[in-house]
Amino acid sequence: MIELRNVSLSFGGKKVLKDISLCIPDGKITAILGPSGSGKSTILKLMIGLIRPDGGEILVDKVDVVKLPESKLFPIRKQMGMVFQGNALFDSLTVLENLGFFLGENLSLPESEINERVRNAITFAGLDGYENELPDSLSGGMQKRLAIGRALIFDPRMVLLDEPTVGLDPISSKKILDVIAKLREERGLGAVMVTHTIADVFAIADRVIVLYEGMLVFDDEPAKLHASDHAFVESFLIEQESHSTPHNNKARSPETMS
Amino acid sequence: MNAEFIIAYRRRLSDRSKEFFETMQNFLFFSLRSFGAMIWMKRYWSDITTQMYAAGTSSIVIVLVSSISIGCLLTMEVGNQLESFGAKTLTGRATALSVIREMAPMVTGLMLAARVGASFASELGAMKISEQIDALRAFGTDPIAKLVMPRLVATLIMFLPLTAVSCAVGLIGGSFVAQGYHNIDPGFYWNSVLAPLEFHDFLVGFVKPPVFAVAITLVSCFNGFSASGGTVGVGQSTVKGIVVSSGLVLLLNFYISKLVLENL
Repeated sequence: MIELRNVSLSFGGKKVLKDISLCIPDGKITAILGPSGSGKSTILKLMIGLIRPDGGEILVDKVDVVKLPESKLFPIRKQMGMVFQGNALFDSLTVLENLGFFLGENLSLPESEINERVRNAITFAGLDGYENELPDSLSGGMQKRLAIGRALIFDPRMVLLDEPTVGLDPISSKKILDVIAKLREERGLGAVMVTHTIADVFAIADRVIVLYEGMLVFDDEPAKLHASDHAFVESFLIEQESHSTPHNNKARSPETMS
Repeated sequence: MNAEFIIAYRRRLSDRSKEFFETMQNFLFFSLRSFGAMIWMKRYWSDITTQMYAAGTSSIVIVLVSSISIGCLLTMEVGNQLESFGAKTLTGRATALSVIREMAPMVTGLMLAARVGASFASELGAMKISEQIDALRAFGTDPIAKLVMPRLVATLIMFLPLTAVSCAVGLIGGSFVAQGYHNIDPGFYWNSVLAPLEFHDFLVGFVKPPVFAVAITLVSCFNGFSASGGTVGVGQSTVKGIVVSSGLVLLLNFYISKLVLENL
């Protein structure tokens, strides 16, 4: 379980997160929803200690990540596979090398086990036959699946996904969402999925957290989103629905909210 | 109005000073961590050899071209000046001291700042922007040990032979000009080059490359690691890396010469 207690963070004098408290359970898919710049991706990076908050506690299984030095964070990071927004794949390494790189680098495993884990990850990501390709020669969806495969390489119990469907066509997006759902169904893995697409939330999330201007404005099941009376949540839902059905009512902009 | 302007100006000055000292502090920690990461040299030896090869092969041509032209020009100008005093026979000596003590290390340093430093800053900047450096950390690899330390060790090893090549090529270029332009016999030229050389002349020249290697690598890598703001940010950090490391090469060249020559 990951718990954030009164976390706040500023970048260059601008408050990105304001006194955020939330709890991420194991084995569930939690979506973090919000507009660009609302601090969604920052929360993922805080959870694995890539960024340190200005204040507050970040507890992973009751261990405060904030108090741990960089050298002691690996056991925590190993439990949480991270999928970056732009995938962050190593462009000079092949698919095989991208998957095996960190196993060889950071775990003292026999060669045979490294090969087996890499082979499993390739099969899971549906990249059989592409082992010796460079990431640049793969499609966007395949790169994303490779990034998910890499995130699973240490057998984590939670996957952190930063905008997993952004920039993908609807079919590739669905494939990625299916992969995430499969992780929960077949492996019992939890996931934290940052997104600004409401359809992704309704498709697979068990719980949704909505951030607006660095504040938490909703934390419940996705089905209850429509019942929310928060002006931003209402506006966001209308805006997203108007995108999926072009002739819908015009959305209220957040600036006009009372 | 004036008071407001002064307050705003003082605030901006204070912010800039704070930012400068924070950057210096971060650079100091970054440098210490880079040297500390040398305990992982054995683990990252293949990265070190890759960087040595890259630094050597990518720079050798530019070092050869710039050194030979500096050697030729220096011999021509020095010979002209000495001729007016009737001391043309000292051309080899003057060229040798200038090339070995000053020109070869400085030219090599500047060329490497432009060639190797730029490549370090842009590669690491691109990795920073595409979150590859964050990915290394997220999966348990220390980016400084993996990316900076091998570059530091590689340049420390490679800058010295490159400077030696620069010296040799500069003096050979000088010998052609001495013979062809000043009609100085090659044997006489080489005798006047080698005879007066003393240990401290080599010390002045060859203590500089390792210092330049450290300055260029750490400044370039630090700028790469600090890149932000997309492709424009990578360009800016690369330019900043080249400008600062070139400036440091010029500054350090002077102070090392002064320090060594005053104390020997």
